Amino acid sequence: MRVLIVGYRGNPYCGGQGIYIYNLSKELAKLGAEVDVIVGPPYPDPLEGWATVYKIENLNIWSIKTKDIPPEKLNRIFSPWNFADYVLTRLHMFPEMETFSFRTFFALKKILKTKRYDIIHDIQSLGWATVPMKGYGIPIVTTVHHPLTKDREADLMGNRGLWDKTTTVLFYPLVMQSFVIRRLDRVITSFREGIDELQKAFGVKRERVSVVYNGMDVDMFQNTGEQREENALLFVGNTEDSKKGLVYLFEAMTMLPENITLTIVDDGPPKKMTAADMIKKYNLGHRVKFTGKLSYDALVSMYSRKTILVMSSLFEGFGLPAVEAMSCKTPVVVTTSGSLKEVVSPDCGVLVPPKDPAALKDGILKLLGDKKLRERMGENGRKWAVENFSWPVAAKNTLEVYKDVVREYRSGK
Amino acid sequence: MPRAKIWGFLAVILSAGLFALSVFSFFIINNGDFSTFSSVDLNGLNSFTYYSAAIPVAVIALWVLATGFWIGWVILTIKVVPPMPEIVEKKDNSKIKAFFLCLITAALAALLVYGVYIRSFWSLAVPALVISAVILGAIFWVGMAIITTRATLPVNKK
Repeated sequence: MRVLIVGYRGNPYCGGQGIYIYNLSKELAKLGAEVDVIVGPPYPDPLEGWATVYKIENLNIWSIKTKDIPPEKLNRIFSPWNFADYVLTRLHMFPEMETFSFRTFFALKKILKTKRYDIIHDIQSLGWATVPMKGYGIPIVTTVHHPLTKDREADLMGNRGLWDKTTTVLFYPLVMQSFVIRRLDRVITSFREGIDELQKAFGVKRERVSVVYNGMDVDMFQNTGEQREENALLFVGNTEDSKKGLVYLFEAMTMLPENITLTIVDDGPPKKMTAADMIKKYNLGHRVKFTGKLSYDALVSMYSRKTILVMSSLFEGFGLPAVEAMSCKTPVVVTTSGSLKEVVSPDCGVLVPPKDPAALKDGILKLLGDKKLRERMGENGRKWAVENFSWPVAAKNTLEVYKDVVREYRSGK
Repeated sequence: MPRAKIWGFLAVILSAGLFALSVFSFFIINNGDFSTFSSVDLNGLNSFTYYSAAIPVAVIALWVLATGFWIGWVILTIKVVPPMPEIVEKKDNSKIKAFFLCLITAALAALLVYGVYIRSFWSLAVPALVISAVILGAIFWVGMAIITTRATLPVNKK
């Protein structure tokens, strides 16, 4: 199987796409697939051992004011796609996926003079030019962990006033994604409920969606054997993301005994103020602390030392922190929103309804009060994570989807 | 002078010059007498000639107006519950504003289509002026940034 993976961002250390491209391409190659990658910046580490990387230019200037754009980028703005990028970003749009798809379309034309592929795997860019790319006669699948409608809803939830809402609506390229996704050969999503979400958001037919659980590095995320702290809750995630439902976790904290603390793995003030403001409002300053961004080793250590991981999410397209925690034998308390009710088995953690601080508090107290239950759930969690969410498993299942799509495509269905 | 700075100066001079030219042609050359433009007769043009210019301008203008309408419509119709109603202190009247956004953009779109249909000079001139001003403004702004950006750190006199 000759596979071309296409993703508009390739940073292998942060941001889901880069990690996904890096690990999926590596594991697919181990399974015997020939893999090439077309990727935008930040570029991945060299994948020389298993894949050829074609780099696509992109200035990544959507959040930068013109006067703050570095000179080396500023001097490149007057090329056609960069200028389109520049103008659209000044109008508060996020054109990276659109322009990436056009750049890829033309780059692919050149690549196809010397190479052939059985399948193209788009990683959540769904740009306009992905549709004409079908003209190259290669089936295209895309991975969409969750529809961006969920992000837009969450942002609109926090927006006050017309201007904030206008910029949010302009930011998400939903018209484009909705148009493109319905014209691709298959959509891969990471949880079963995602099928309904994609149908609701974009009108994707159910039979065109396949579920493949995301992968994670189960070798890296292993319990370090460090002494576990008592009554220490852990939250891992972007505190500025309203989908994380942090406000409900803080509300639950006010109902919990004073000796229970919460550690948040993310930047706190002055970089990020949303959570800090809520902490001040609920008077939780003495019980909540921020760690800032952590290295993988420090994160694994954090998972291994804290008593419970808590996720108060209103929606999750996968729920990576829950899987990482389970892989480190840490029990979890999570809401039943989005993928979490599939990703967390009831014998690995406590599941509570979303938007319910009292239920969250009860779930936390249940686990904190029963050490044996925590240990049992921790052991089950590790087993569950290895069996379902390792990269080799994800790659094997993805390869099955490829084969199915290629078979369908060639039989003219 | 570095090559990039030369491009920056060119961008600024060119965009400012073209913008000044369009302002001059519209507002100064006729001593502010806009009735001259209103009497421009586009009906004398062959339909094919007229629509080959009118359609691209109208499509871009309608796209912008449709985007405005769509934004208003999304804000107006989306059902979003704030996470904790009690922590929302400011009254949000964005739905009322969104309603007016829809109303104004729909009215402008209707006016544009009618203007193009009756071959009014203004229905082409106003969108063309606005679109070119946005593009020239972007070029000017980037040019200014290139000129004023310091590529190396200033010399430490101490």
